[in-house]
Amino acid sequence: MADTVQEFVFNLTFPFTRTLGSTLSTFSSALAQGQIIGVRTGGRVIAPPLEYDPDTAADTGTDWVRVGPKGTVSTWTWVPEPTNLHPLDHAFGFAFITLDGADTPMIHLVDAGSESAMSAGMRVEAKFKAPGDCVGRIDDIIAFVPAADPSLSEGAGEPFEAPEENDITEMDAYCDLTYVDNASPTTTMWAKALMEGRLIGQKCPQCARTIVGPRGMCSVCAIELDESHVIEVADRGVVSNFTIVTPVQYHGQTETEPFVRCSIMLEGADAVIAQQEILDIPASEVRVGMHVECVWAPESERSVEDIDNRSRGSGGDAILGWRLTGEPDEPAELYLDRMM
Amino acid sequence: MSHQPVAVVGIGQTHHKRKRADVSIAGLVREAAQRALEDANMDWGDIDAVVLGKAPDLFEGVMKPEMYLADALGAVNKPMFRVHTAGSVGGSTGIVGSHLVSSGRHKRVLSVAFEKQSEGNAQFALGGGKGASIGAGGAFAPFIRAYIRRSGAPEDIGWMVAVKDRLNGAKNPYAHLKLADITIDKVKESPMMWDPLHFLESCPSSDGACAIVFTDEDGGKKASKPPAWVLATAMKSEPGWYSGRDAVNPQAAHACSQEIYNTVGITNPREQIDCAELYVPFSWYEPMWLEAHDIAAPGEGWKMTQSGATALGGDFPVNMSGGVLSSNPIGASGLLRFAEAALQVRGLAEDHQVGGAKLAIAQAYGANAQFFAMWAVGSSLNPLG
Amino acid sequence: MAPTENDIAIVGFAQTAPDRRTQLTEADLVLHATRAVMADIGLDKSEIGFTVSGSCDYLSGQAFSFVQNTDAYGMVPAINESHVEMDGAWALYEAFVRLLQGDIDVAMAVGVGKNSNSDPSTLYTIEFDPYYLTPLGTDTWSLAAMQARALLESGKATERDFAEVVVRNRANAKSNPYAQVSGDFSIDELLAADYVRNPLRLHDLPPTTDQAAAIILARGKRAYDLCDRPAWITGIDHRIEAHLPTVRKDITTSVSTRLAAEGAGAGKAPIEVAEVHAPFGFQELIVAESLGLDASTEINPSGGALASHAVMVAGIIRIGEAANQITKNGKNRTLAHATSGPCLQQNLVCVMEGDQ
Repeated sequence: MADTVQEFVFNLTFPFTRTLGSTLSTFSSALAQGQIIGVRTGGRVIAPPLEYDPDTAADTGTDWVRVGPKGTVSTWTWVPEPTNLHPLDHAFGFAFITLDGADTPMIHLVDAGSESAMSAGMRVEAKFKAPGDCVGRIDDIIAFVPAADPSLSEGAGEPFEAPEENDITEMDAYCDLTYVDNASPTTTMWAKALMEGRLIGQKCPQCARTIVGPRGMCSVCAIELDESHVIEVADRGVVSNFTIVTPVQYHGQTETEPFVRCSIMLEGADAVIAQQEILDIPASEVRVGMHVECVWAPESERSVEDIDNRSRGSGGDAILGWRLTGEPDEPAELYLDRMM
Repeated sequence: MSHQPVAVVGIGQTHHKRKRADVSIAGLVREAAQRALEDANMDWGDIDAVVLGKAPDLFEGVMKPEMYLADALGAVNKPMFRVHTAGSVGGSTGIVGSHLVSSGRHKRVLSVAFEKQSEGNAQFALGGGKGASIGAGGAFAPFIRAYIRRSGAPEDIGWMVAVKDRLNGAKNPYAHLKLADITIDKVKESPMMWDPLHFLESCPSSDGACAIVFTDEDGGKKASKPPAWVLATAMKSEPGWYSGRDAVNPQAAHACSQEIYNTVGITNPREQIDCAELYVPFSWYEPMWLEAHDIAAPGEGWKMTQSGATALGGDFPVNMSGGVLSSNPIGASGLLRFAEAALQVRGLAEDHQVGGAKLAIAQAYGANAQFFAMWAVGSSLNPLG
Repeated sequence: MAPTENDIAIVGFAQTAPDRRTQLTEADLVLHATRAVMADIGLDKSEIGFTVSGSCDYLSGQAFSFVQNTDAYGMVPAINESHVEMDGAWALYEAFVRLLQGDIDVAMAVGVGKNSNSDPSTLYTIEFDPYYLTPLGTDTWSLAAMQARALLESGKATERDFAEVVVRNRANAKSNPYAQVSGDFSIDELLAADYVRNPLRLHDLPPTTDQAAAIILARGKRAYDLCDRPAWITGIDHRIEAHLPTVRKDITTSVSTRLAAEGAGAGKAPIEVAEVHAPFGFQELIVAESLGLDASTEINPSGGALASHAVMVAGIIRIGEAANQITKNGKNRTLAHATSGPCLQQNLVCVMEGDQ
């Protein structure tokens, strides 16, 4: 088998902005001021408040109740090695904490110092960030800590009067996930051929269709294709279709100028390679029927690091693009239907 | 088919907007569901099962949000189901919901579909979180170019669809885009996105939700407002890529509509169907789907647009609601098509009503124009007589 | 038995060998599982009237990742096909409902998950309440651990009981050719291990697995063309609870499992074998009690989710394993359970019977 399998690390990161709606805005605005609230619904106080009553599906309404800042732990666990998504970078506990004045617990961190300090029934107290740092998100509470004074919170259970308008109506939610995929045997074959300056396809023994940018299976016949089905294909052909993309600027976008992606019908094979770039001519001059040939990166500069299992015919950094050969165009009508 | 009749007795949708800043994710979904329940003269407790559909969770950054939405949709202690079939998902959400009733499993089912894509970025999500995403339009532009060449259609057909659908949207109180002063020139002069598609020929990015309440035959007959009867449903898929695939006129599209027509007994779709809600996110898909679903002969779809046949006052109105070109909360768009078709045969489409509509079809498609979901709804169980 | 046209049976089941880290793609896994089940019962793809898969975009890290997986079906000519963002067990439910439409008589349900691409301690944080739990990086192990401690505090179980579940499942897994984790362990040696999330130890957590599984369902008499002794689904039901475990009345019992079991008619007659999907070993105790099982039922002869656990697949595998007990092992009445969501939020129960 392959010596080492290529792995791809992909960081899926994005700054999401969530709008809160009325109930959560009320909670968040109060939280930013250091006050935790719950809502009385169906005979119990749920804190932090939910918008809809789990038992009846009714709107939970606006019967706000002050709760906490102290509460009682009912169940708990200990996190000896926090992940990068946990708010604390030292060992801490998670717990169900029923705040004074509430009937249902909430989940939050307990920064107890050690696992042995955690217990069902322990009294804890919310520790807030500095007022200037509070944004109304649940982690305005850095964590709960063992309560120095276990007595009931002052004012817990009393009504909370919501302001006419809430200050805080949105919440930032940063997604930060890491994936590690590995190159399948088929991707590995494709990438290896690219490094050698060759294009390969796989030909189905049943329907005789060839796919370039092989996938290890025929999507028509549902049969497995492997190295025995590999065929060499020419690195020259005719543009059969293209699209000119005017890039939209989004977080993570890498393009700023209009760019072209085209499909090329490869010479001598009934196969199309997709998602290719055309070099040296402006996007507006790309035409169906143009003869093109592959421009390989110099051998020492070739890289297939970006070729993953979804590359679908992409040449990565082994192919710089395709350039005109100078031959006269083929009639577009013969090719226009072959975008695949 | 040996299944029982299903009726649509409640329809609800949100006011679709670029950003629904006034609600949480649950609030958005709830708004549509609440309207559907009110339309059905029901309450949460009347519903036996909930089906939720939406497009990739990368759009909102919440994985499997149906888990968090169980409370908001009154699903606690009930069956809750989550469908995801790419762009056609709204359609499949409707179909799966209807099957839960037609199979006899449940009497009253709520289907809900939504997208709150303003919380993230749709193009980012479509590109899987990477740069140089070509966007959905980038994937379809080559198919569109091939259609134009094959059919010999004049260049203004796409612009005409864009204008028609937005003018329709202006009559729909829920539509995101209500561009009552849109003109051919404005479309033509708007920036090019993916040649030949201009900005104004492309769908918006919307936050929105849609909900439908299904009941059995008994419930349909007793409903306080006229029901829409689900006459046929079909879902067909083909591979997104294979050598020689015709992605312009996909075989799965024909197979899907053919199954609908066979079930209902439609032999002349152009004449027998009163109106259609088709998933047209980019203008040229109107003539393309008319042909792919055998409503127009090959190469003739654009003539229906050109002649005004597909306008609200024409003989085969398409996208009376303003369609996907006016509102596109991606996960909900398919269900909106299904719901709008049902509204038509119930006679409840108000300013965008097609007079006397008795038989309507709806279609949603997804991924590389490879997944198709369709249904036919009628004002009675036998609208063709 | 003379089945009616509304009787639906499982006639075939195949799973890929579980792999801690496969080099294959999800599409490859689906191809292997579907070809295996078709070959097993002599079915051609053209005979399948409906195909539905269960998988999760976020597990693979790519929007629409299930679309690539459909390459494995050979959808030329076009087929009736669907997908759920749920474990394959729910895909099977959709297939079951689809068969009841009466126009087709064979369906295929698939579950697939390449779990090794992601880290479960961070990935599932985004499945939970986006406002109250995700911002704290609340992870699935911590939630399960709090449910486990609640069970201890209730007095219904001890840490020894937790370890006993693991010992039994791992020992059972030895006879399962599709087990990733198996072996003989003693309760004491397990209890000597450090906590990963007090009171859960590494062995209490589910393994990470890359796998796919496929099940063929047939309606009415057609079942006998494909299987001598079909596993007739006499009841199938699923229910969901409130999302936050903190607003549920009691997380030491599973209300949705009980309701689903009732809906599936589990209690109508004795269950000989139950395949319970308990990703965290101690959850088997909660589920077994909520299913109303007694000591006469053999639980998890396959080794359960502790033997292999590909999220999106472990549930449908429980159904396949319970079906195999009928089709291949002569049992008469078995039950399969599948779960999803934090602290057993959503549960599916499938009851199967063989011809007497």
